[in-house]
Amino acid sequence: MLPSELLAVWKRKGNIWPRYARATEDNLEVANRLIKAYKDHVGQKKGVLKAFAAEIEDEGYEYRFVRGLSFLLDRKSTFRCNDRIHPVELRRRIFHTTKELGFATSPERRRTIVETVASELKVTSESVDEFLYADLDSELVLEEFEPPAPQELLKEYNLSLTQTLLFDSTELNFTASGNWQRIFYAVKRLGLIYEVYKDGRFWVKVDGPASLFKLTRRYGTATAKLLPTIIANPEWTLEAKILWRYTNEICSFKLESWKHRTMLNSPQQPTVSYDSTVEQDFAEQFQGLKTGWQLKREPEPVPAGKQVIIPDFSLEKEGVKVYMEIVGFWTLEYLLRKMEKLKKVEANMLIAVNEKLACEKLANLEKNTQLDIIYYHDKIPLAQVLRYLEKAFRNLQTTQTGLLKSLPVVFTEPIVNYEEFAARIGVSMEAVREALAEKPPEGYTVMPNGLVRKDKLEQMRNTIEEQLSVTGRLPLLNAIRIIESEGVADVTKSLETLGYKIVWRGINAEKAEVVKP
Amino acid sequence: MIHLWFDKGTILLRGEAGTPYGKWDPRVECYRIKAMHYRDVLAYLKESNLAFQDDVPNLPPVQQLNPTVELRPYQKEALDKWRHANMRGILVLPTAAGKTYVALKAIGLLKAQTFIVVPTLDLIDQWRKRIVEYLNTEAGAVGGGENTVRMITVSTYDSAYLQAETLGNKFMLIVFDEVHHLASPSYMQIAEMYIAPYRMGLTATYERSDERHSLLPRLVGDTVYTVGVEELAGEHLSPYTYEKMFVELTPDEQEAYDDEMGTFRLYLREKGIVLRSAEDFQKFIMSTGRDRRAREALLARNRALKIALNSDAKLSLLGRQLEANRNEKTLIFTLHNDLVYTISRRFLIPAITYQTPKEERREILENFRKGEYKAVVTSQVLDEGVDVPDASAGYILSGTGSTREYIQRLGRILRKVEGKRAKLVEIVSKETVEVEISRRRRHKKPTED
Repeated sequence: MLPSELLAVWKRKGNIWPRYARATEDNLEVANRLIKAYKDHVGQKKGVLKAFAAEIEDEGYEYRFVRGLSFLLDRKSTFRCNDRIHPVELRRRIFHTTKELGFATSPERRRTIVETVASELKVTSESVDEFLYADLDSELVLEEFEPPAPQELLKEYNLSLTQTLLFDSTELNFTASGNWQRIFYAVKRLGLIYEVYKDGRFWVKVDGPASLFKLTRRYGTATAKLLPTIIANPEWTLEAKILWRYTNEICSFKLESWKHRTMLNSPQQPTVSYDSTVEQDFAEQFQGLKTGWQLKREPEPVPAGKQVIIPDFSLEKEGVKVYMEIVGFWTLEYLLRKMEKLKKVEANMLIAVNEKLACEKLANLEKNTQLDIIYYHDKIPLAQVLRYLEKAFRNLQTTQTGLLKSLPVVFTEPIVNYEEFAARIGVSMEAVREALAEKPPEGYTVMPNGLVRKDKLEQMRNTIEEQLSVTGRLPLLNAIRIIESEGVADVTKSLETLGYKIVWRGINAEKAEVVKP
Repeated sequence: MIHLWFDKGTILLRGEAGTPYGKWDPRVECYRIKAMHYRDVLAYLKESNLAFQDDVPNLPPVQQLNPTVELRPYQKEALDKWRHANMRGILVLPTAAGKTYVALKAIGLLKAQTFIVVPTLDLIDQWRKRIVEYLNTEAGAVGGGENTVRMITVSTYDSAYLQAETLGNKFMLIVFDEVHHLASPSYMQIAEMYIAPYRMGLTATYERSDERHSLLPRLVGDTVYTVGVEELAGEHLSPYTYEKMFVELTPDEQEAYDDEMGTFRLYLREKGIVLRSAEDFQKFIMSTGRDRRAREALLARNRALKIALNSDAKLSLLGRQLEANRNEKTLIFTLHNDLVYTISRRFLIPAITYQTPKEERREILENFRKGEYKAVVTSQVLDEGVDVPDASAGYILSGTGSTREYIQRLGRILRKVEGKRAKLVEIVSKETVEVEISRRRRHKKPTED
């Protein structure tokens, strides 16, 4: 982050952008020269270095850009006070001697004072002058410097510039492809308040407690600190409102990963790490089971009113989603608060609670909650989790079946595949099968994998009859071809429905034939 | 039952009833109230006979106070006025009239957790010293690397602003020293985000050139007492003489000055820019970010001013003055730190700037007080509120281009010695724009934060 006077922006029609330094030849040259200047000045005074840097600035480059880079390079430098003669002690002696001998209003008297102190300290008069203010900022000596690559310096500059602009922000809206746990943790740690909403994607709006009363830049600094965590993701979009300090107008600032990511230095996306071995063991064992449930670590946050819950895992099967949270150390109050929040969630949430770390009597908890809780000691009991999952699956199916039955569904297509239909309307296939089998729509025949319109069946019958009329029998493989070419998966069931019989000769399907009974 | 608690500089209320001071916050599904309305909300709930649980304050433990403050009659009157105004309001007293003592007396009477907000780190030290001396207790400090909260805590405006989220519910009385600072857009949030029902503002210069002081009554209370310099002069404040000395630039300096200033003026003329007011100048400064030639013109002007301000002729005159008045306790003021160190190196006298280590600054001031050091050269750090007693001569080598009040403020840190009036001398280069700045300094209102 840069001092605000070094913030360079473009501003047009209510929009504002930082003046990013792209990796052009010119910009890379400035970066290179400054880096070299710092390297060359190791062992010299900061004042000398800064004067040298100011010369580059006077060659016609944007001075805020040059100073911004120099500011960032200062942070990669170690400046130290050369205190071979300690300046504070030296000054004390000088000023006391001045008291004795009078102000140094003539060169002679000045020399006398300096020499007196020099001989007291057994040093030369020159070094007295040299060390008198060796502790001033400009007199500090550049001791070490870690040179960055010029491209990296430009990216770091662009990130700092963005953060400096966000100092003046009154609110930030963003969406990101992941890393949610860290993002919300940072929001909380920085004292910000968020709201979530869906606008095609999952969006988060961030500002602070007092933003309720008026537009304020108060939370700009915290918002700027949040930026690196958001852009550590591969994809993100940010929209901020900037209260521009010089004119007091509100400007919009938009940042998008596809456009800006390569210009900004962003910390490496940390790999998913587990809070505890309990979580890790559970994930590994569960995945080893091949249950048909997809386990996902750090899923997208679950909206609960305007707040969110970020569960540890999501488990998904055929459109049924169950969230799971593992609670190590807990109090009754904590769980009650969680329950309060969960009431607003239209999702299945399983909570695994550590029995050993319970701070309250478990009886209290059970009395107070209607949460789905399982207890564990050292390991999450997989059987219980699976039982819960199957129950959730069945429950959801029953609900969906009921819903489907009550819906007046009108089909027009000749063939309805349950799996496709279930995916299309977002329910489980079993629910579809059950609902449609019980009350098939007018004009359709129920098959194991779908519905077939009656005229379609008749069409198949005609084709089969045509072939049968020639030889009196039809190889099963031909019949399969006929039926499948109509897009129907249920061959045996179709033949049965049409009143044919399959005559098997051994187990070889090639020798089987379809005949009229 | 209604439940109230503190949340990061605001108050949250949950319960069946709202309040006229709150606003529904859909983000957290509670009423949110500005911390400054704490007293009003409590009064409202009590009046309405509503049961409530108040978890808002989180006060540090009370310490034993042993107040020994004696007030002068006008200080006593000021305190009485404040107490009659429900312990809220602003007292306007000239520098050196002992504003601090009025506040110390109030703390001694209230014996409540108190937060004192001051503009500079020096003032933190000064207040803490006084608290030990007159209340016989140790005060905490927030700012300048320290962060200790005690029953009485002194903070800078900056730290009070930055830490409002955590400190806002820890004090019942808040004292704003140099309260005119509070009216700036960010600092006014201090008043809004602290719950303290009792509030006192102290200043010598209530009015601000940007008129924002009109916001202060809402934040702290009305002005309940005013006394001017004229009413106190002679009896309680020492009078001083003011003199202006002109020096001519050396021929070399004059030539360089004219050259640089010519570049600046030429640019203005070419572009048809007229600089009449501070706003005009601000606009011009902003244009230098975009326009390279504008920036060159600005740099030329700055170099010219530097020549005039740092003129060798001025330093020679200062040297002659120091020599001629070697027994006076002398303070030298300049605007630029560079010049402070030039003077310190040349005459070998102690310097105080923002870069001076805290310990050394304390030691220098102490030695100056005792007469161990006869002169101190400083930039602006001493010009507000900090006591530097017993100086009998002051020199201004360059100024902020501010006001008559500025001169008065410096003048008032001077004391007469052996019946002789203290003197304040402003040294100005002739034939330069510095004459303009000096004139402006004496006639315009302050442009302070």
